[in-house]
Amino acid sequence: MTLLITVAAVSIGVVLGVPLVVGLRAKNFLVRLVSRGLVDLIRGIPAIVWLFIIYFGVSIGAFRFDSTMAAIVGLGLISAAYFAEIYRGGISAVDMGQWEAGNALGVNRWTTFAQIVGPQAFRVSVPSMTSYAISLLKDSSIASTIGVTEIVFFTTQDARSNDGGLTVYILAAAIYLALSVPLALLARRLDASLRKKVSR
Amino acid sequence: MVPESNLPKQMVSLRGVSKSYGDKNVFSNIDLDVAAGEVTAIIGPSGAGKSTLLRCINLLELPDEGQITIGDKTIKAGSTATNKEGEELRRKAGMVFQHFNLFPHMNVLRNVSFAQERVLKRSRKDAEERSRLLLDRVGLADFADAYPARCSGGQQQRIAIARALAMDPEVMLFDEPTSALDPEVGLEVLAVMRELADEGMTMIVVTHETNFARDVSDNLIVMADGKIIEQGDPGQILSDPEHERTKLFLRAVLGR
Repeated sequence: MTLLITVAAVSIGVVLGVPLVVGLRAKNFLVRLVSRGLVDLIRGIPAIVWLFIIYFGVSIGAFRFDSTMAAIVGLGLISAAYFAEIYRGGISAVDMGQWEAGNALGVNRWTTFAQIVGPQAFRVSVPSMTSYAISLLKDSSIASTIGVTEIVFFTTQDARSNDGGLTVYILAAAIYLALSVPLALLARRLDASLRKKVSR
Repeated sequence: MVPESNLPKQMVSLRGVSKSYGDKNVFSNIDLDVAAGEVTAIIGPSGAGKSTLLRCINLLELPDEGQITIGDKTIKAGSTATNKEGEELRRKAGMVFQHFNLFPHMNVLRNVSFAQERVLKRSRKDAEERSRLLLDRVGLADFADAYPARCSGGQQQRIAIARALAMDPEVMLFDEPTSALDPEVGLEVLAVMRELADEGMTMIVVTHETNFARDVSDNLIVMADGKIIEQGDPGQILSDPEHERTKLFLRAVLGR
C-alpha cells in the first residue's frame, strides 16, 4: 500500500508538474499569477492538513473519496507543485544557447521547449526528482492518519494492541529501509546512465 | 542611368537599426548592405555592438528601431511583426554561434536533421540524406552516429555549420565562430568557411580573425562604440586605416 501510494502520487506529480511549470513560465501575466498562486497554496499547507481536507471535506453529491484515493490525490497534487519547481530549476539550468540555436534554425518556441530544452531540463531534474520520491516513500506514512492501511497504520495498531512494544516500530523502520535503500541505489544508477550519454 | 534591375541584388539590408538595453544604447541608426554572394566581415573592439547587430539580423535580438531585409522579406522594428513573420525571416538566415550550441541529447545526424524535419517538413529519409551530404562536405561523414560531447570543438563547430546549411539559408551569419577554439583547430573551421564563400554563399562574419577578413571577405566593416567607423576594402583598411580608433584596435590585434 505504501508503495502504491508513493508510485501513484509521484506519477501524478511528474505529469501534472508539466502544465504547472508551463504556466509558471507563461508570457501571460494572469496565467503566471494563477500558477504561482496554485503552487504556493499547495506547498504552503502541510500534507496532513491537505489529506484531511480532501478526505473529509470533499463531498460532491454522492461522491466522496475513500481514504486511499484521498491520499493519492492529495500527495499527487503536492508532488505536482514540488515537481513544477524542480522542473523550473531544470529549465533555467539549460544554457540559453540551446534556445537561441532552436530559434535561429526557425524551430517554433513550443517545439524548442518540448524537444530541445525540455529533455535536457528533465535530465538535470532527475536527481531532485528521485530524491523527492524517496522522501515521499517515508512521508506517505501521513496517510495513516486518515486510515489508509499502510505500514505505519498497521504498526500503530499493533503497538496499541500489544501494549506499545518497540519491536514493532523497529520492524516498520526496517521495512522502510528495505524499500528506500534499493530505490536510492537505482536512482543513482539512473542518473549515471543518463549522464553518460551527454558527457565526455 | 543604370536600370534598377542591373544593380546587384542586396541580399541583406539594414536601415536605421538601433538597439538599447534599458538606458544603455548599444548602437543607433545603423545602415548596412550585403550583396548576394558577398562576404562581409565585421571587426572591432569588444562591446562595440558587433554581435548584437548580427543577432538583430535574424531577430534573435529585437531591434528597437529600423528595418531588416533578407532577400524579399522585410521586418520593421516595433511593427506588428508576428512571431510567425520573425520565424520566416529566421529561416532565411543560418547562424553559427561562438559556443556551437549543438543539441547534446541528440546524435550528430539528428542534430543536423532535426530542424529540417520540424521546420522544412522534410521526411526523415530526405533529411538524413541531406545531412550526410553536408557532414561529408564539412569533412565529418564518419561522425553521424556520434554524440556532440565526444567531438572536439572544431568538429562541433563544423557540425554546427552543417546544421545551419541544412536549412538552405540565403545568408549565413557567423558570430565569432573561432573565438572559442584554439588557433590550430580554428583553421579547420575557417577552411570550411572559405569553401562556403568560394561557392558563393552570402556571409556576414563577426570575427577577430583578421587574416580571414583580409583574404576571404569582400567588404570589411569596423565597428566601435556602437557605430560603423570604417567600411570598405579589407586589404586597404587593414594595412592603412583612416580612423584613429581603427588604428588603435588593429595595433592590438595585429601586433600580438
